[in-house]
Amino acid sequence: MKTRYKIVLIGLMLLVTGTIIISCASTKDKYTAVTDVEEEFKFEKSGAQLWGEVCNRCHLAPSPADYNDTDWETISLHMKVRANLTEKEIKKIEAFLKSAN
Amino acid sequence: MKKLFTTIVVIGLVHISYGQTYNNFKIDSIVSQQYKPSKTQFMIRGYGHTGLNFTNTEGERESSYVGSAFAPIFLFKHSDRLMFEAELEFGLENNELEIGLEYADVMYVLNKNMTVRAGKFLLPFGTFMERLHPAWINRLPTRPLGFGHDGIAPASGIGVELRGAFDLGGSKLNYAVYSTNGPRLKDGTEEPEEAGMLMFQNFEDNNTSKAFGGRIGLLPFADSSTEIGFSTYSTSKVGAADSNYENVGAFLYAIDFAFIKQIPALGGFIDIKGQYNNSDIDDATYTEVHEDGDEEEYTFDNKSNSLYTQLSYRPTMASSDFMKKLEFVVRYSNLNTPEGAEWEEQSDQYAFGLNYWLTWRSVIKIAYQTTDSVGGHDGGGTTNNFFVHWAIGF
Repeated sequence: MKTRYKIVLIGLMLLVTGTIIISCASTKDKYTAVTDVEEEFKFEKSGAQLWGEVCNRCHLAPSPADYNDTDWETISLHMKVRANLTEKEIKKIEAFLKSAN
Repeated sequence: MKKLFTTIVVIGLVHISYGQTYNNFKIDSIVSQQYKPSKTQFMIRGYGHTGLNFTNTEGERESSYVGSAFAPIFLFKHSDRLMFEAELEFGLENNELEIGLEYADVMYVLNKNMTVRAGKFLLPFGTFMERLHPAWINRLPTRPLGFGHDGIAPASGIGVELRGAFDLGGSKLNYAVYSTNGPRLKDGTEEPEEAGMLMFQNFEDNNTSKAFGGRIGLLPFADSSTEIGFSTYSTSKVGAADSNYENVGAFLYAIDFAFIKQIPALGGFIDIKGQYNNSDIDDATYTEVHEDGDEEEYTFDNKSNSLYTQLSYRPTMASSDFMKKLEFVVRYSNLNTPEGAEWEEQSDQYAFGLNYWLTWRSVIKIAYQTTDSVGGHDGGGTTNNFFVHWAIGF
């Protein structure tokens, strides 16, 4: 059991270190800007699409009208962490919910 | 009489016209300024459920309305990065009101890929206990075998956690790593029939060793329909410091799977979920005290596992509004605890449910469940249950 414990511990430490390096290194400012041609063909999902896909992973997609804009901001932060959503997903879903309520 | 009537009419008209002039724009703007939302936000969310249970255990029948469980969630948003969250659980069990603190933690968003949490939080050991157990989310009135507060897998812990998600250009990867007090071993002193079990409610650590764990989830497709997760949880010591059991260690892992997608050919949403838990605790020697006072030492291979798979279908593309709100659910779960332990058990459970969604967060659940057990606290046998429950999220 001690060996497995050490393996898990080392594995987790490597994961944490790697994640910190990647997440701290990948700031938006350092991205190479996409060219106009790339932007033209870039496919981005809408907030409404993500709302339908992401929320349904655990529960039925919520009705935007059930909360006001301020409430959706609080709920979005809570759900981002609880369901481990990407920033892009939660920002788009929050924008959609606030626009449709 | 005429004079009196005229006087009342005049007073009434004056009153109404005065009332009309009260709402002027100047005052309105002042009032609206006062109610401008602040950056600091406080919300109470949560869920509750109630229902009727019928139980038939080997011919012994029981029926009871089950108490309304109430689980308020408090959210304090201090800024766009900082939040405190806590959930209380009120439940009626064994003619008593039971109150629990499901979680209470503070979280801070470090950057777009990383959030730190500290306090008591739900553990990402698989997905069921962290994401799917609330009554308005769980598609059946019961939890699968081996899950829950007395299950073989951890539900929550006190410690610190890093978590986040990465967008991989279509695919997504989420992760969580944490350190908690870890479980404590039941050595049989207080409950001899549970010697060798892990107790995950370890509010004050009973030794210096901490538990470490984590989960990696991969969503390989851009539509987020599929998620595969692997979790691990390990500690080198679960026994009390300076006891014979101090150096007993434990290693647990879980594999989870989810597929949720609206399939036009099937006319609705298909939702498949599953999780396998495995627990391996170092062997130790426990003492059994017989009725005549004699003591006997025994040991066993302390390995347990549990599994559940669930399929549900919502005909959301049906033409009938009534049909759209229905959901059909079937679940299989299985629990195996160590052979030779006092709590040895092999159980299989099938559950079939029909749900009617009143709204996206309010559901009436009708379910039939049958459980075949060998061993266990109740000595085994077949138990059949019928449930009618109403769950609501708020």
